[in-house]
Amino acid sequence: MNRSVQNPPLRIGKPRLPILAGLLLTVIGTLAGCQKSTEYPSRPITLVCPWAVGGGTDRVSRQMAVFLESELGTPVNVVNAIGGQGVTGHSRGIRSKPDGYTISMMTLELSMLHWRNLTDLTWEDSAPLMSLNEDPAALFVRSDSPLQTIKELEAEIKSRPGELKASGTAALAAWHLALAGWLISLNQNPTDVIWMPSTGSAPSLQELMTGDLDLVCCSLPEAKSLLVSGDIRCLGVMADERQASVDFKDFPTLNEQGSAWTLTGWRGLGVAKDTPPEIQQRLVAVLRRIVSGEARVNGESFPEFMDHQGFDHTSRPTTEFADFLKRNDEMFGTILNRPEFQAVQSGPVGAIVFPNLAAGMLGLSLITILVGARRRAGVAILRDFSGAVPKGESSPSGHSASSTSRRAILLSGSVVAAVVFYILACDMLGFVATSVAILFVTSKLLGARVLTAAAVAIVASTGIYELFSSLLRVPLPLGLFW
Amino acid sequence: MSDAFSTALENTLTLKVLLVILVSASYGLFVGAIPGLTATMAVALMVPFTFFLDPISGLAAIVTMEACCIFAGDIPTTLMRIPGTPSSAAYVDDAYSLTRQNRHQETLGVSLVFSVIGGLVGALVLICLAPQLARVAFEFSSYEYFWLCVLGLSCAAVVSRGSLAKGLLALSIGLLLSCVGLGSTHSVPRLTFGFDELITGINFIPAMIGLFGLAEVLRNFSNLVPDAPSATGTTPAIGNWLCRGIGEVFGGIGKRLSKSGSRILTSSAIGSGIGMLPGAGADIAAWVSYAVSKRRAAPEAKDDYGKGSLDGIADATTANNASLAGAWIPALVLGIPGDSVTAIVIGVLLMKNIQPGPGIFLDPAQLPLVYGIYITFILANLLLIPLGFLAIRAGSLIIRIPRQIILPLILMFCIVGAFAINGSYFDVGVMLVMGLLGVVLERFEVPAGPVVLGIILGGRLEESLVQSLTKSNSLLAFFERPVAAGLGLLCIALWLTPLIAWIKGQCSGISESE
Repeated sequence: MNRSVQNPPLRIGKPRLPILAGLLLTVIGTLAGCQKSTEYPSRPITLVCPWAVGGGTDRVSRQMAVFLESELGTPVNVVNAIGGQGVTGHSRGIRSKPDGYTISMMTLELSMLHWRNLTDLTWEDSAPLMSLNEDPAALFVRSDSPLQTIKELEAEIKSRPGELKASGTAALAAWHLALAGWLISLNQNPTDVIWMPSTGSAPSLQELMTGDLDLVCCSLPEAKSLLVSGDIRCLGVMADERQASVDFKDFPTLNEQGSAWTLTGWRGLGVAKDTPPEIQQRLVAVLRRIVSGEARVNGESFPEFMDHQGFDHTSRPTTEFADFLKRNDEMFGTILNRPEFQAVQSGPVGAIVFPNLAAGMLGLSLITILVGARRRAGVAILRDFSGAVPKGESSPSGHSASSTSRRAILLSGSVVAAVVFYILACDMLGFVATSVAILFVTSKLLGARVLTAAAVAIVASTGIYELFSSLLRVPLPLGLFW
Repeated sequence: MSDAFSTALENTLTLKVLLVILVSASYGLFVGAIPGLTATMAVALMVPFTFFLDPISGLAAIVTMEACCIFAGDIPTTLMRIPGTPSSAAYVDDAYSLTRQNRHQETLGVSLVFSVIGGLVGALVLICLAPQLARVAFEFSSYEYFWLCVLGLSCAAVVSRGSLAKGLLALSIGLLLSCVGLGSTHSVPRLTFGFDELITGINFIPAMIGLFGLAEVLRNFSNLVPDAPSATGTTPAIGNWLCRGIGEVFGGIGKRLSKSGSRILTSSAIGSGIGMLPGAGADIAAWVSYAVSKRRAAPEAKDDYGKGSLDGIADATTANNASLAGAWIPALVLGIPGDSVTAIVIGVLLMKNIQPGPGIFLDPAQLPLVYGIYITFILANLLLIPLGFLAIRAGSLIIRIPRQIILPLILMFCIVGAFAINGSYFDVGVMLVMGLLGVVLERFEVPAGPVVLGIILGGRLEESLVQSLTKSNSLLAFFERPVAAGLGLLCIALWLTPLIAWIKGQCSGISESE
């Protein structure tokens, strides 16, 4: 943490006893959590998913967790570390402690984020285990569009550059690059089709249906419902060959329509680079059983599950996956390093427009408040801006004003200190010990008796830990001493 | 149709399905009542289990859990001032003020009954109009979403406690906070001040817990006057505890119901209408309904809004529960998720080899499933009454725990709630900073609600603004489509009315109204 709030609650009343007892309880709590680790895996595993709950990657991750759990015989919990267009989750997964207890779900974005200078993380920081699926991008139009083939679309773009509007994801994210790469392969400028940035395929498809967009570029499973209902039409799939699945086998590839361009979204699993080889081998062995369909949970195998969800389930074993990642990375480097992309990056509406609007509103409202306050009696300004006590509060009787306010500041300081202590110490001490210390010291400061405070602290901390870890499957830190 | 319906009844009213509903209702209440855990998270945690269930049980579990979760969010909102879900943030000040007047049971009783009614009306809308309404979503392009976001935000600023300018100030703070990090539409990190963690942006859940929950903890720690209601009477035997509870929780509810017929209709309509739009959900619905409720209130009742208005709570909670069923409309009919929960539902349907889309209503093999979902919606809401009552009674015991014990526990729940959502220490830090901001805002009587809504809707507002401007350079385009024009004029009217009143007040030299 970069904040430096030093406000130790150490100097109030009789400080020694609660602090010492708190330290003692912390040590006991830590020791109580100790257990000799023997063979991998001996405790719950975390699977980091870089995308939000409910999305495609999340569904694959959660299903994978079920299979890993049944094969490894230890709980596997999914954590959605979202945001930053995938930066957060990928860094959290790949830069975790190399002990095999954090597995990273990696997606296509890993190959492009570093080219956009959003992170310095690349696939080479990871130890790839196995890829799980490859869903090609495809181009979609509304069913009532006059465009029937990819050649007609190409002609339309060439005759009216800069007029057609498309979407599918945020600017410069995967499906935007898929479209841009195709345009580049046609010797067109990537800006010949206007890219309307959006948060994903669902809102883009909806905009396509309202008639405000001409084209959507996203993966096949994402568009499945509207394809099946006949609301949209697929012009071409960006893959080498037609898809094997029943739903998509009728859609032509760009390749067979004379346009050699492919782009595939992939998902795969990896761990931190320095993970011991025997742990990596154990995981790969288990994964091989899962992706081959040998491992079954409740009568269904992983490939069957992927089929039902409309996901492809091409998998690549470790070395092939690494090779694929290398080529994928180079391809995005070529696209993103092109000078045309500088123009795309700025876009018609800059990134600073909205923050400026918000800041303007902030200034305006502040001025209004100040002017309003000045127009009123001078006292009103004091009431508004010199920290008046909120209504309904009075100073407590029985204490002198200065000692009360000193105590109040110290007590609020203890709350701040408690939160900072959690941030700094929790990973090392583990949740239970940290929570015992916080609960004990704060309730002691508020005047609880030692025994009550200790009992509540221990019962509540272990209770919360069990509640979150076992019942709700939300992993809380165990501590380094495990 | 009747065949499919009776099959659905047979499939749904089995011991197994009913048991699943009961278990998921309890689970939903539990998760919803824990700050930081959302309905989406509860449903996502449930997904691996639905794998083992038949489709109707799996969907019944999700429907039930969602309904119970959104209501249960009101429990920590009322008792601890920590909104359990973002949709409770609209009335957190009202509910908590009532708790400080020792009226928490009555408040939660109103919230429970009106949640159930909202849920039932929402379900009826889903049952009767789903196929007809689903196509409405295709009328909503970025222009309409832009105005809808403006409408939700304006409602928050205009109706919130304190002056208009302060509401606007709170809103701007929220919108600025929403700009932090990598925007959803741009690829440039903004306002990160060199912190790598900020690229992710500010997650609204820790922000919400900080602004309300931690700020309250800080206030209580620094102010030891016992202002929270103290224990009343001794703890009676369990049977007595429940019987007397019925009076405490549901007393006066009949009278309230009999005079709020038209309000229920309005709030449910707002809820269902906003709920069925993809990407707009229970949070906007609650704010808009709260604003409409305040506008309709009698002049003398208007002052109560923000200080403990049961009418406001009732209307907002009706709308947020009605919106739940609304979100299923586009999900079932078009396969476009109305919110994050229905996004998971679509996943579960696909996993069971069911393709959502218009076909689902035509295929005789799948129709019983659709009816099964309808029946579950009604069952779940009815079941919420007894279970919710128990939850209220159990939750109310919190008020009796001595403050030196309960305050540290609430502090710990703030920390765990902020941490659990993403497993990130940075989020705990965000929660702390927001808690301090909350204390400062409270000092200057700036409402915290609009800050939270600003963070939640800021991204969506910017997205729709950028999209609209990318599509057309003319500002007139924002009014070209009929629905957009209507919503736009509504927003402008919403701002002009209090502005004119305020200018009038300024001109005649009278201080602005509080």
